[in-house]
Amino acid sequence: MDIFTLVIWIGTLVFLGISLAKDKPKTMRALKMALAMGKGMAPSILSIIFAIGLILTLFPPALIAGLVSNQPVLLATTVAALFGTITLVPAFIAFPLVGTLIHAGVNVVPSVAFLTTLTMVGVVTFPLEKQAFGIKFTAVRNGLSFLFAIAIALIMGVVI
Amino acid sequence: MTIIKKIKDNFFLATVALIYVIIFIAKPAMGMAAVKSSGYYIKEMLMIMPVIFVLTALLDMWVPKEKIMHYLGKEAKVKGLFLSFVVGSISAGPVYAAFPMCVMLHKKGASLRNIVVILSSWAVIKIPMLLNEMKFLGPKFMAVRWLLTVIAITVFSWIAAQIIRDNDLPKAAPAPSGLHLNKDACIGCRLCVNSYPELFGMEGNKVHPKPYKILDRVKLKNAINACPVKAISYPENEEIDSSDPRQSQ
Repeated sequence: MDIFTLVIWIGTLVFLGISLAKDKPKTMRALKMALAMGKGMAPSILSIIFAIGLILTLFPPALIAGLVSNQPVLLATTVAALFGTITLVPAFIAFPLVGTLIHAGVNVVPSVAFLTTLTMVGVVTFPLEKQAFGIKFTAVRNGLSFLFAIAIALIMGVVI
Repeated sequence: MTIIKKIKDNFFLATVALIYVIIFIAKPAMGMAAVKSSGYYIKEMLMIMPVIFVLTALLDMWVPKEKIMHYLGKEAKVKGLFLSFVVGSISAGPVYAAFPMCVMLHKKGASLRNIVVILSSWAVIKIPMLLNEMKFLGPKFMAVRWLLTVIAITVFSWIAAQIIRDNDLPKAAPAPSGLHLNKDACIGCRLCVNSYPELFGMEGNKVHPKPYKILDRVKLKNAINACPVKAISYPENEEIDSSDPRQSQ
């Protein structure tokens, strides 16, 4: 277990201990909620992981890296951002996946664009958001999110 | 029947399984490689996921969200902006669980800009997720992306508030009368079923209210408060609080 995982575990266990000492029923509710979230997401997480395994076997990260680096950065970034917009990968699987890709030599800029639109722009939740806030609000919020995701990615490329 | 329904509910899983079967028959070596590379992610997920779920639930439980939101209406300035980021960052549940809550906040006078900030940070910034990002992509990567995201949301929420007017939002739909359950928000945790099994039952992986004649107000109130994503509402219930002498039925 690497240091980050260890720190998260220890921190959470300490938090859990304090929580238990302060309010047991509340803590049990939180644990039940955590279990429910885990159970609810397990099937989709598993299928996405196996799909990623499959895709990475058919298209090895080195091949993807080669493909991406042959394109102009702005084009690759826009495509990656679009990809992030339409795919439904939970963020916590996206991090190790993007980690693999970056280690294999994929440019940081498209990777960040993918990561950011993945969570910030919601095509799947668009109908629900429209229902709650109207078309103009939803279009403006998601449109701006998309543009700023690309801006974030471009700046990351300079800083990192 | 149930098997067909199960496959329908897990269409993606079934598709992936089918592709694996085909590959294993056609090219066993490639199938093994795919399983092996999936194995790495499964191992990583098993190490980090339980703790992320627990941390998310604990944060959601302990940070006094209601109290924070109370300030959002009045404080549209820096403090309101900051609090909106806090609400979005510590909340559990998928982003669509935030929609009904934000509609309510807007009705209570929260500014459009704060609503945009809550929704966007709810979707993107999650403290447990930041830890996960740090693990796989490094602390510098995480910190820079977090900082840029906060700046981006701050800027584009301002732009959004210039473009959108308050009356662009749908006119307050009449609050659903009687018992209402927001199925889009429901995460199927069964906490309401535990609180009030006579009224709430499961239908697939979502809660479904059973037909009722009389409501046990106390149990209903417990169920409403127990729901982690605030998916249950009962308008009349807002008037009765704990000081109400009318106890059950």
